[in-house]
Amino acid sequence: MGNQKLFKGSLQTIILQLLASNEKMYGYEITQKVKELTKGELNITEGALYPALHKLEADGLLDVEVANVGNRLRKYYKLTENGSKETANKVSEMQEFLRTMQQLVNPKFSLE
Amino acid sequence: MKITNNQIEDLYQFTRKHFVYHYDVQTELVDHLANDIEEIWLENPQLTFEQARDQSFKKFGIFGFMDVIEAKQKQMNKRYQKIMWRFVKEWFTIPKVITTTLIFLSIFSVLKIRHSEYVLLGTLFILAIFDLINLSKLRKNQKKKEEKLEKVFLLEAMIEQTRNGFTGLTFINLFNFVNLTKASFSDLENYWLVLISFSATLIFILFYVTGYVIPQKAEELLQETYPEYKLVKNL
Repeated sequence: MGNQKLFKGSLQTIILQLLASNEKMYGYEITQKVKELTKGELNITEGALYPALHKLEADGLLDVEVANVGNRLRKYYKLTENGSKETANKVSEMQEFLRTMQQLVNPKFSLE
Repeated sequence: MKITNNQIEDLYQFTRKHFVYHYDVQTELVDHLANDIEEIWLENPQLTFEQARDQSFKKFGIFGFMDVIEAKQKQMNKRYQKIMWRFVKEWFTIPKVITTTLIFLSIFSVLKIRHSEYVLLGTLFILAIFDLINLSKLRKNQKKKEEKLEKVFLLEAMIEQTRNGFTGLTFINLFNFVNLTKASFSDLENYWLVLISFSATLIFILFYVTGYVIPQKAEELLQETYPEYKLVKNL
């Protein structure tokens, strides 16, 4: 997919935002949720998702919880207090960026 | 179709074959593969377990689990450092700061003696031998664990390995250090001696913390890091 490169830099923001609206999620659930929300337009690759999750965990933005589901253990991620604050920052940064990009890519012409 | 217990076991072996050696990292990947395989079966129920598994593994890209392992390692390094500083800091607060000061003062007064470098070298040599004996004991234990294919967590392995690495590095560098400064210490200005004594004290504390304090508290630290630790070890 051509737009994969564009969205790679936004991966952390996407993960944080998803966790802000769903109390706790596991890795596979995140990939599926993104696919569902974007109607298959975006595909988080496994090789990018887990490194991003581990980095966020190392930065103290995420906390983990482990549950026994049937015959296996499942690792859930949820936001820490710091994580919630950072989500708000990152999301507003992202919106700012989108507005700027909009102006660059699609400038409004005026007669002035 | 649902994944069976045997297939879960097979997935653990599969991750091990692809260079994921630590149980905590394996577990997350196994759950991911299992979910994905079940999803693949919904669309293509005719696929065998192995086919579905390989299809799922391909999604990790040409480097397989490497990126995941690397990121996990970095995260754990950070955590290990945090744990290390937590214990090192203790040595600069009451009451341990008294011991720290005593170590500092004794190094400082030894440095003041003529030909102190021989005293230092001698002490280091004794410490190194003492530590090497301890290390070989630990190595044997570790080998036994590996042979038994025990579930080893990443932090668990790091606690043991950092100890090895740190000890080696410290000693090699200190020997170099002593060799490099051909001038005898007692001729140096006092502020140099203070600096050297302070660094030596710090190295000594780091060595003690990574080599003895953290391994002793390993069980506690692992439970704090891994919510699943007790659950898994009791299986």
